[in-house]
Amino acid sequence: MRVLVCIKRVPAPGAKIVLTEDARSIDTSLLSFAISPHEECAVEEAVQIAEATDGEVTVLTLGPPEAEEQLRAALAVGAGAAVLIPTDGSDWDPISTASAISSTIGELEVDEPFDLILFGNESADSGGYQVGIRVAHALGRPIVSGIKAIGVEEGLLTLRRETPTGSELYRLPTPAVTAVKEGINLPRYPTLKGRLNAKKVEISRMTANREGSGQEMVRLVTPELEVSETEILGSGADAAPAVADLLERLQRAG
Amino acid sequence: MATVWVFVEETEGVPTPLSLEVLTGARKLGDVTALYLGSGSQEAMATVGEHGATKVLQMETGDRLPAGPVAAALANKAGEDSPDLILFGQNYTDRDVAGRLSARLGVGVLSNASAVRLVDGRVETDHEIFGGNQIATATCAESPFIVVVRPKSFTAEPMGGAAPTVETLDLPDTGSSEATVLESHVEEREGPQLGEASIVISGGRGLGSAEAYELIERAAKPLGAATGATRAIVDAGWVPYAKQVGQTGKTVKPDIYIAAGISGAMQHLVGMKDAGTIIAINKDPDAPIFSVADLGIVGDVHKVLPKLIEALESR
Repeated sequence: MRVLVCIKRVPAPGAKIVLTEDARSIDTSLLSFAISPHEECAVEEAVQIAEATDGEVTVLTLGPPEAEEQLRAALAVGAGAAVLIPTDGSDWDPISTASAISSTIGELEVDEPFDLILFGNESADSGGYQVGIRVAHALGRPIVSGIKAIGVEEGLLTLRRETPTGSELYRLPTPAVTAVKEGINLPRYPTLKGRLNAKKVEISRMTANREGSGQEMVRLVTPELEVSETEILGSGADAAPAVADLLERLQRAG
Repeated sequence: MATVWVFVEETEGVPTPLSLEVLTGARKLGDVTALYLGSGSQEAMATVGEHGATKVLQMETGDRLPAGPVAAALANKAGEDSPDLILFGQNYTDRDVAGRLSARLGVGVLSNASAVRLVDGRVETDHEIFGGNQIATATCAESPFIVVVRPKSFTAEPMGGAAPTVETLDLPDTGSSEATVLESHVEEREGPQLGEASIVISGGRGLGSAEAYELIERAAKPLGAATGATRAIVDAGWVPYAKQVGQTGKTVKPDIYIAAGISGAMQHLVGMKDAGTIIAINKDPDAPIFSVADLGIVGDVHKVLPKLIEALESR
C-alpha cells in the first residue's frame, strides 16, 4: 500500500504557552516542538501498514522551514520520503492548510494515487479537527475519524473507533482518508540506523498558494483558573469517614 | 430574528444528549430548525420540539457513511433558505458534515467552540486551545456561520414547545459514500452514564496500576456514581476511552466530582472544573487539583479509598 501521512509541528504538549504582545498569537521563541501526538501514532500506523503490505510511506507537512525536524523524525522511524510545504512561520488556518495540502497531494499523485492518507484526529495546539475532513472532501474520498484500529485485507480497510456508547466498525474501499487517535499503537523509538538514514533523505519542497478564508482571530486570553479555597478534611485514611459523612449530607441536600 | 440550524444526531432512536444541549443554546440565538439525521419517531420529534426547534428537516442514510450526502443536501437547502447560523455538536459525524458543508458553501468553520454569541450580526465564538491553556475568541466574515460546539457548553432544558413541522430532505448520491458501517456495537454498561450522573468519581495515575481502578468502581457503587478517568490512565490502557474526562474526552458537570490520585493537569481540569463540589484525594499537597477542589484529603488513595468504601458500605 502507498500510504501518505500528514503531520503538524506543534509546541511540545504540556509546554507553558506565552502570548505575543498583541495577544493574537503565541511567542514561539522559547518553545520546543514535536509532532502532534495523534500524528505520531499515524506515522507509526503507516509504517506498520507498509511493512505488512510491502508498501511505502511518504510523510508531508505544511509549516515553517524548521518543520524539517519533524519530517526527519518520521523518516527515522520508517517513512521513506518526505515533503515540506514551507510557510513563513505564521499560522495558516484550516481552510488554507487543507487547500494547500490537497493541491500538493494532487501533484504527488500524478502517476498513482495514495491508497491511504492518514491524519491525526486533531492537532494538539488548535484542535480544529478540520484539515483531514477538508482534504478528503477536496479529493472526493471518504474519511472516518477517531480510529483506534486499522485492518487491511485485499485493498479494503476495516476501521474501528470508540464512541461514547461503545464502538463502531467501518469498511472502506481505497483510496481513502482516515484520522487516527492516540492509543492506536505505541510509536517506536528511532534506531541509530534509522536516524542516520533519515539524514540522507532529500526532502522535497513544494510551494502552495495561501487561500484566504475570512476566518479571523479576535483575541487570545490566558484564562484565570478560578482558584477555590480548599478545605482540607484531613490527611491519610482517617479522614475517609469525614468524606463519607459529607457525601451523605450533599446527597441529601441534592 | 436570526435563523439558526442545529444538526441533531440520533442514537438508539432518540436525539443524543449533546444535540439537545445545542438545541437549547440555539433557541436563545434565533428561530431554530433541527437538521435531524435518523429515523425520527414521533417521540423523538416531540423531544426536539420541546428543546426549541420549530421545524425539522429529516434525513436518513441507513448504513452508508452519512457525511458526504448529508453535506451535499444541506448545501442545496442552505442555498434556498439562507440560514444565518449552523450549529453542530462536537462529534465524529457532526464534524465531518460541518467540514464538508463549509467547503461546499465556501465559508469557514469555527470548531471546538465553548461559547457562541451573535454580536452586531456576526458570530463570535470562544475556543479552549493548547489543552485549555488559552482561550481564543474568533469570528468569521461571511454567513452562514458554521460553529461546532463542545459538549456541556450549554445545559439541555426542555421548554415545552409544540411539535415541530417535519419536512423530509432527500439525500443525493455523492459517490464518496461507498463506505459502509459494518457494525455498531453498544457496550453493555452498568450504572449511571458519565455524561449524566450527578456524582462522578475518577481515578488517575496515582492509582499506580490498572488493578487499583477497582477501588474507584467499588467506591462508585454505594454512591450511585459514574466512574471516570484521566487521559494518562486511558492512554496506559487501564480503562477504555469512554471513561476519559478532559479536553480530549468528556466534559462533565456533576453535582459532586471526586478526583482520586489525579494531579490535575489542565487537560483534565477543563473537563470537570464546573462540577458543583469537587473533592480531591491526593498524597501531594501541592498537586494542582487542590487549586480547583472545594474539599481535599491529603493522603495515599490506596489507603484512603478502602476506608472510604468501608464507611460508605456500612451506611
